[in-house]
Amino acid sequence: MIEIRGLVFDYPGGSRALDGIDLTIQDGERVAIIGQNGSGKSTLVKHLNGLLRPTMGEVFLDGAPTAGIRVAHLAARVGLAFQDPDRQIFAGKVRTEVAFGPRNLGRRGGELAAAVDAALVAVGLDGVADQNPYDLGYSRRKLLALASILAMDTRVVILDEPTTGQDADGVDRVRRIVSDLGAAGRTVIAISHDMRFVADSFERVVVMGAGRVLLDGPPANVFAEAGWPTLATTYLEPPLAARVGARLDLGATATEVSLIEALAARAG
Amino acid sequence: MSERSARRRADGIDDATTAPPPGADQLSEADAAYLAGLAPATPTAYHRQNPLTKATAATMATLGAFVLGGYVGPLAILVLGVVPGAIVAGLLGRLVRLAALISLPIAVSVALVSVFTRAGETVLFVIGPFDATLEGVDFAAQIIVRLFVIAMALGLFGLTTDPRALVVDLERRGVPPRVAFAAAATLETIPAMIERAQTIQAAQRARGLDTEGSLGARVRGVMPLVGPVILSSLTEVEERSLALEVRAFGRPGRRHLLWTLPDSGRQRLVRWLLVGLFLAVAVGRVSGSLPAPL
Repeated sequence: MIEIRGLVFDYPGGSRALDGIDLTIQDGERVAIIGQNGSGKSTLVKHLNGLLRPTMGEVFLDGAPTAGIRVAHLAARVGLAFQDPDRQIFAGKVRTEVAFGPRNLGRRGGELAAAVDAALVAVGLDGVADQNPYDLGYSRRKLLALASILAMDTRVVILDEPTTGQDADGVDRVRRIVSDLGAAGRTVIAISHDMRFVADSFERVVVMGAGRVLLDGPPANVFAEAGWPTLATTYLEPPLAARVGARLDLGATATEVSLIEALAARAG
Repeated sequence: MSERSARRRADGIDDATTAPPPGADQLSEADAAYLAGLAPATPTAYHRQNPLTKATAATMATLGAFVLGGYVGPLAILVLGVVPGAIVAGLLGRLVRLAALISLPIAVSVALVSVFTRAGETVLFVIGPFDATLEGVDFAAQIIVRLFVIAMALGLFGLTTDPRALVVDLERRGVPPRVAFAAAATLETIPAMIERAQTIQAAQRARGLDTEGSLGARVRGVMPLVGPVILSSLTEVEERSLALEVRAFGRPGRRHLLWTLPDSGRQRLVRWLLVGLFLAVAVGRVSGSLPAPL
């Protein structure tokens, strides 16, 4: 369980990035964090593995404060895949790149190989395990960065903009990964601007603006018409399905599936 | 009026205030305000001096401190030239700290080397085979004074001049855009690379790279940082040059600058006076007509 209490963070130079965040995330929850650029999303998740330390407030992981615990140790429990894969890929082979994280966590031999293989299969890169990462296109490098976090087998997986640069197949793959992680009881937290992906893949949506939590709830509630003015303050638009549903008076239809069902129910 | 001076006038070089760029009268108020907003911030009168004036002042102070030697000359440059400038710019304290930080490591090595190795009559004390001489102390002190004055002069220039301002101004004065861009890119790359290195380090730490542990762990942690820093820098250089080319960077001919920096006849006069003063001092020192430095 992740507990964030009264979290305030000021960047050096004084700009306040987080302005009092209280948030509890249960084990196995799938949570999307959305909000305009600069609303504090990335700053928030960097507190979960200690890359940033609170100016005020506390972060608890499974009931224990993270203060004073080294990032290298927190990384065993909280995996964080950064937005730009090129800011982490360094190895000459896809397999070595994926093995870097679990190796840092002390896995060796068969255990290491199994973790690497499973992660590569999950992102669909098992066929290119021996290639140079820079021979892959951007979208596959992004999946590689994702695999390198999955291989660490952490109980919490944080993904920063996982669908950026992905085509429909890639987005589907990320969706499957998120749902598999959830099914395995692992906590998934994703930052995303892709509202369709957010509505489809997450059971809880946290809306941030100016370093605060503006809305927090299931997609159907957050994207319901009542929340639109709040979404607008942080420059977000509800997914198309929600807007169509509202226009046709079908209620809250955050996902396409729920929209189609509502349409079918009305027609039937 | 010659063609050259006509062009200089058109470029706003002779105007005391910010000259509107050519075609500025066709801009809407909002666009003009936007373009003006691109210019670097100039909070004080010293910041507002033309970059070339500040560069000339820093260069002449540096060369002057070298040529004059002794204590009185360099200190006079410091007290009469650099310090008033720093006070006007409102950053005397910051400048002194910066200059001290820059000159300290060199000062220590200069002191160690010259105090003990400089031959002299007056031995102050002896450590093993080395004797410290008064002449050595004097020599080291002179070097350190000069060093500090130079650090102050160059620091004042650096703290009050946005690299972009210098480059844009040089470009207006006829430096080829490619050269000017290379200069600006070099200056601007350093903070960008630091920022990138920090992101990369954060990404690797998130993958369990221990940068807070033992020395051995830190040394092992260097490779995963160096690779992405170099690769992403190379990629960026390529992308940057492509992005510039698609915006017609290589197009021959004259450019319109989005903003120009004020320059004035008075500032030009000051620049020539500074150069003249330095030359006079240099000639005086070489010909021996100035008294020996104190």
